[in-house]
This record gives sequence, structure tokens and C-alpha cells, in this order.
Amino acid sequence: MTSLLREARFLLSLRSAALAIACLFLLTAVAIGAGLVEVARQEAAIARIGPQQKADVAAVAAWASKGRDPGDAAYYTFHATWDPPSDLAFAAIGTRDVSPYVLRVRALGLEAQLYEGEIGNPEAALPGRFDFAFVLVYLAPLFVILLFHDLHSGEREAGRLRALEASVGSTFGFWGARVAVRGAGLFIALAIPFLVGAAVAGTAAWKVAAVLTVILAYLAFWIVLGLVVARAARSSLANAMTLAAAWMALTLILPAIGHVVINSAIPLRQGMELGVKQRTAVHRAWDVPKSETMNAFFRTHPEWKDTAPLTEAFHWKWYFAFHQVGDEAAGDLARRYHDGVLERAAWSERLGMVTPGVATQLALHRLAATDPAAQIAYQDGIRAFHGQLRRFYYPYLFRDKPFDRADFDRAPAFQPTSEDGSWPGALLAGVVLMTCLVGALGVLRSRR
Amino acid sequence: MSVILSVAHNELRHLVRSRVALTGLILVALLTFAAALTSQAYQADQAALRERLQHAADEDFEAQPNRHPHRVVHFGHFAIRPASGLAAMDPGVEAYTGNMIFLEGHRQNSANFGDARQSSLLVRFGQLSPALVLQVIAPLLLVFIGAGMVAGERERGTLRQSLLAGVSGGALLAGKGLALGAAALVISAPAFALLLWLGVSSAARLSAVALSAGGYLAYLAFWTLLIIAVSATARRSRSALIALVGAWTFAVVLTPRVSPEIAAALAPLPTRVETDIAVQRDLRAMGDSHNPNDPYFAAFKQKTLKAYGVERVEDLPVNYRGLLALEGEKLTSSLFNRYSNQAFAAMEAQGRVMDALVVVSPTVAIRRLSMTLSETDLFAYRLFLEQAEAYRYDLVQRLNRLQATAVTAADDAAKSKSASAEARSRISAEYWRAMPHFDPARPSAADVMGRALPALAALLFWVVAGALFAAQAGRRLNRSAA
Repeated sequence: MTSLLREARFLLSLRSAALAIACLFLLTAVAIGAGLVEVARQEAAIARIGPQQKADVAAVAAWASKGRDPGDAAYYTFHATWDPPSDLAFAAIGTRDVSPYVLRVRALGLEAQLYEGEIGNPEAALPGRFDFAFVLVYLAPLFVILLFHDLHSGEREAGRLRALEASVGSTFGFWGARVAVRGAGLFIALAIPFLVGAAVAGTAAWKVAAVLTVILAYLAFWIVLGLVVARAARSSLANAMTLAAAWMALTLILPAIGHVVINSAIPLRQGMELGVKQRTAVHRAWDVPKSETMNAFFRTHPEWKDTAPLTEAFHWKWYFAFHQVGDEAAGDLARRYHDGVLERAAWSERLGMVTPGVATQLALHRLAATDPAAQIAYQDGIRAFHGQLRRFYYPYLFRDKPFDRADFDRAPAFQPTSEDGSWPGALLAGVVLMTCLVGALGVLRSRR
Repeated sequence: MSVILSVAHNELRHLVRSRVALTGLILVALLTFAAALTSQAYQADQAALRERLQHAADEDFEAQPNRHPHRVVHFGHFAIRPASGLAAMDPGVEAYTGNMIFLEGHRQNSANFGDARQSSLLVRFGQLSPALVLQVIAPLLLVFIGAGMVAGERERGTLRQSLLAGVSGGALLAGKGLALGAAALVISAPAFALLLWLGVSSAARLSAVALSAGGYLAYLAFWTLLIIAVSATARRSRSALIALVGAWTFAVVLTPRVSPEIAAALAPLPTRVETDIAVQRDLRAMGDSHNPNDPYFAAFKQKTLKAYGVERVEDLPVNYRGLLALEGEKLTSSLFNRYSNQAFAAMEAQGRVMDALVVVSPTVAIRRLSMTLSETDLFAYRLFLEQAEAYRYDLVQRLNRLQATAVTAADDAAKSKSASAEARSRISAEYWRAMPHFDPARPSAADVMGRALPALAALLFWVVAGALFAAQAGRRLNRSAA
């Protein structure tokens, strides 16, 4: 205990080390602040849309309810969906700045509506966000390198090493205390601003615990790597260079190579093809006998088979049927696209097993539900809601039930599926495993 | 001069002998090579894919049977963004923009299927391209190699020997700088080779190739000067290394990330849903085509009747529904343009805020320069979107005019009740084949230069600042020896 206290005093008296920890604290605080501001902006946008959407539906209802035609109602009424930021989104904004978190759909073909983009400045999205995940994954290791590269060699180069080791009771305890105090300093600089942010955002306790574990595991990896390099007993300069090179490889080069490899191994051309296919399938209906469309529709929706047959005149139920048939024609491509996005994400997790920076990035975004999987989950939610919309309008359309003013309020309302993130066990295990691996390598080398 | 060369020669020999530095150099040069190769392959693949898709979309459009023109308005068309000339060098915002827009009547759809949305989170670590290597990785490697170049000699005591032997501080630093510059050229050679290849083989403009190469040379020259100057000023190589890694982190990693946060706070963007709702609201305020007594459309009717000198709609020589469609599209399109201009104005305001940070980081300048010259910046993207919208409007109005002139009012009115009227309301498929193709123009050379030159000027300013710093460090060396 006394050795810990002595080390803590020593650390505070070292101007450069204290400055570094203060600097990391400041950067973390700014990142947490920026994240909270961004989440508040997104929440405000979602809140703003509610009344606007209500007014829009009321305006459609005002004229469409006069004719009482359910086709008009189903065609012209848009229904809002939204994906509220999770209680941890402030720490890892993730894909929320490149894909929409509010989307309106109507009961027409879904595949033409689901992939709509958001108004965003691509030049602002390009460098990525300055959020907590960025500070932890990219910047924290640089501070570890700063504080640990000369742990041993610094004393030796200052000519104090022998005197120091002779004056302390146990060299192991001495270096242990030094490592513990420096590591704790970094941990505190990251954890305190995060805890304040979590308190403001009301983050669930288990997620707070999980994030603290992730911080601990990732710091531990870099500290162990730092110690292993330090044990090689070269100059402080060589240590710093080796560690910075490792940082460059692990957080810049390997992920960038991984991205290229994954995207070329799993090409996603289905997206663009899907758009063309659905459009063509929908419009084909105008040029083939109506019965052909209706038969295709009844195959998947036999419950409407016995409704009144179509006549020569235009009927909305035929119109909505061919939209549904169009969606079904593109269904296979849509599924492959959906699975392809998830498969890319799965491969990035595999890369994370050997790249702690990637694992940490993915773990934080999984916890915050801001990763591609969460994005897909939102799309699945929209898909389910769109199904509800169809089931709501179809009885009016197929049974020629008039659609009154009051019916507009009966339409299903979107319930956001609170995608709650999940405990990133495998990714954490990956970080711990890599830490052990590096540690074992260091022990083996020093034995030799 | 010969002193400078001999210092440089010595330094290079030292560099080749040091296994670590040589390995680093070779590895990063290989990385640049791999980046150039994969980036070029990816872009070529994308270019072929997009050309094929655009061609298929054109064929689909032309293969439509006889149809009512309004059906074709809803059948719509696809505009696919062609790949740009130097995208293999710097893909810029390519991954963050959609590449395909569905063009149809009454709606302005977004460009969809951008890469960032369909990639894993790895895309956020940066895409492997020659631009990433030269902007981000090369300076850090130069820091590793160069941090100890002068400070290390000071620690070993050889610096004082050289100075006492009559080598001037300026010549010493110039020699070291020359050696480090040579290392920078080795790392970046594959990227320059790619630039040259793109200039020769593709549609890239030679001026863009030359300016891009010049910009990257200036950027690497700045880092070389800074590294030598800091190494000459620092007492120990370790503190030089720490200071330089700090400067690198600040300029290359931190500033580009913080700038969007500042920009987003100063010029917020609306969501697409809000814009959609606003367009619908404004449209209803202008004139409600569903309301037979709407004043706007009543006035339009009077104006039309007067223009044709008739009393009743039935007496018009053209199909009034087609005229209404023309007028309606004009209204919606003016709103789309108004809101899209507002959004782009906000984005450009954000861009100006982000560009202003060039005063603290030369990386901001090289990013702007490189993206602009590669035609992968917001400006080029906006140009594509605006041309797609103009094409959409033109196509839809051509079809609406056909509805007014080639479909009789009687058939148009009866088409949803009677199959024979519906058959008569279909016009010849020949018309679709006569429609123009989407053929977007690239940003003009003047536009590109106009946007690139300020960034180049900023970069040269940084080089001059670096040179002044190095010169001062050289003078201090002389004083310290005296």
C-alpha cells in the first residue's frame, strides 16, 4: 500500500505524466460531451417529427375522408418510424450518422422505400466521429505508450536504475506498483468522464459495467504489450518506436486491409440490382392480365381469395396487390442483401479476435446498438411494421369497406424495438486472449 | 552543396544499415503499392458495374411496351453515378454517398446503396487507398525515422563534433532533410506511379494529376521539414519523438475528427422526413390539386382556357390532364430544388468551417486538395445529384407533354373504367426510345482548379512555415556550437 501511495505521489510530481493523464481526461470529456450533444440532437429531431407527422396525416385525412376511399388513404398516408438512440449511443455514435434513424413508409412496395438515405454531409461523415469509442480505441493506446515506453529504460538511461532497485524491498512490488498507478491514472481519465456521461444519459448499470470492462481489457492489452517491449531492455526511443509501429499496424493498417478483404470477399451488388428488379416487377402488372397478378398475390395471401372479383375498372386492391407481388419478386435479393450486410459484420468480428482495437470498437458499438446489426434490426422493425400496415389496409381495400376520418387514427403506430445491445463476450474474450498471448510471448522471450 | 550531399549520403547509409528503419520503409512502400493496386481494382470494378447497371436501366426503360405516358412517369428511370477519374487515388466521400437514384414523377428520392451503410464498422477505420497512406501513415513513418536524426547525434555527441569540424547547422539540417525526403519519396513512389498511370490511361485531367502530385509532395515536404526542425531543437530524441507523435496525432487524427462536430453544431441539417413533410405542406399551401375549388388551380384553368381561346376544358385542343400534370410537376420540382439548395447551403457552410481548420492542420488542406482533384468531394457529388434532378424533371415533363398531346382527353378520363379506353390511352413504345439518356458531366476543369487552388496555397504556406522553422533550428545549431 505504501509503495502504491509513493508511486502515486511520484506520478503526480512527474510533470509530463500528470499532464498526459490530464490531457486524456480532457479529450475523453470533450468526446463524451460531443456524444451527448449528438444524441440530444437526434432525440430532438425524433421529437420534432411527431407533431409534423400528425399534421401531415390530418391534412391527408381532411380530403381523403371525403371520398372515403381506402385506396386514397393507403396511397397518400405516410407512417413514421424511428430508431431512438440507446442509452449508450453517446459513447459510440456508429452508423447513426450515415443511415437514417427516422423513416416514413406507406403501404406501397416496401423494397422501394426501405433503403432511402438520409440528408447528410458526406465530407463530415468521412473522418468519423469524435466520440468516446474513438478516444478509447485510437488515442488511449498512444497515452499508454507515452507512460509505459520508458518505464524501465527511462530509469536506466537516467542512471538511477541500480540505485532504485537496491533501495526498494522487492523489485517486483516496485515495478508492479508503478504499473498499477500509471494504469489506474489512465483508467480514471477514461472512466470518470464516461461515468458522468452515463449518469446524464441514464445508461443501464450492466452496460456501464460492460464498458468499464472493455476499457480495462483494452488498456490491459496495451500495457502488457508495453511491458513486453520494455523488457526487451532497449533504449526508450526504440521502445517508443516499436510500440507506435504496433499501434499503427493494429488500429490503422490491419483494419483498413481487413475492410478491403471483407468487402471484396462478400460483394453486395444485390442492393442496386434489387432496386431495378422490384421496380420492373411492380410495373409489369400494367401490361399483363390483372388475373395473373391477382393469382400470384392469392398464392401468398389466400385469405383474400374469395373477395369480389375484379372488373374492367381500376381497383385499388389490384394496385396494392401488384406492389406486394413486386416486393415478393425482389424478396430473394432483399434477403441476400440483408444477410450480406450481417455477414460482413460477422467477418469484422472475426478480425476483432486478433485485433484488439477492432474488437474494442465493435464491442462498444454492439453495447450501444449502433452497429450494422442494429441498423439491420431497425430495418427488420420497419419491415414488420410495414406488414402491420398492409394487414390494416387490406380489409378495407378487399372488402370495399369505406375508410372514414376516424379510421385514420386506427392505423397501427410504430413501436420502436428497443434494441438493447448485448454483452460482447466473444469480442472481450478476444482482447483478453490477445493480451495473454502477448504476455506469454514476452515471458518466453525474457526466459531465453 | 557537397557538404549537404555528403551528410545526406551518410544519413541514407545509416538508414539502410538500421534494420528497423529499412523494414519500416519497405513495408510502408509495399502498403502504398497494395493500396494503389486494390483501390484501382475496386474502382475499375465499380466503374464497370455502374456502367452495366446504367446500361441495363436504359434498356429496361426503352423496352417498355405501349403505355400511358403517366405509367412511364411512375415506371421512372435510374441514374447511376459514374466513377470519377482519380477515385482510385483518393475515393474521398465515395463510400459515404449513395450511387443510385430512382427517378420518378412527384418525388425526389435519395441516392441509395452507399458503401458505408452496407459495410462493417471497419469502414470507419478509414479505407485503404493511396491517399490514406500518404496523408496518414507516411508522416508517422517519417516521424519514426527522422525523430532521432539530429537529436540522436546530439545524445551521442557526434553533433558537436560535426559542428566544430565546420559543417554549418543549415547544411547539416539540409542534408538530413534530403535523406528523409528521399525516404518519403520511396514510400510514396507507388502512389505517384498510380497517379501517372491514371493520367495516361483514364479520363483524369493531366492538370489534376500534376496538382495532386505537387500537393502530396508539398505535404510530405512539410512533414520532412517539421521533423528535422523538431529533431534539431529537442534535447533528446525521445522528447523529439513524443512531440512529433503528438503533433501528428493533433494534425492528422484529431483535427479532421473534431471539425465535423464543430460544423454540425454551427450549421445543423434537417432530416429527410422533415423535408418530405415540409414539401407536402408547402405544396398544399400553393395549391391543392385534390380540391376542385382550389384557387391556384382554378386560376391555372382560367389562364389555360384564355391562352387557347376556348370557354370550356372540353373544347381544349389538348388533354387538360396532361397540362395539369405539367403544372403539378413544376410546383413540386421547384420545392424539391428549394429544399435541396437549402440543405446543400448548410453542408457548404459546414465545409467552410471544416476547411477553416487548415490554420491548425495541413492535413485539412491536403484532404481538400486531393478530394477536389479526384472529383470525389461534396461538390462533385452535388453536381451529380443536381444533374440527376434536372434529368428527372426533363424526362417527366416530356412524358407529361405527351400525355397532353398524344392522349385524348376522353380516353384519359375513361381509362380507369373501360378497358378499350385504357388500350387507346396507351401511346407507342417508340416514344420511350426517343428519350435522351442520362449522361452527367464531370465538374469542369475551371471549377476543380478554383476549389483546389486555395487548398494548395494553404499547403504551400505550411511548407514555408516548416522551412522557416528548420532554418531557425539551423541557426540555433550554429550558435550552440560557437
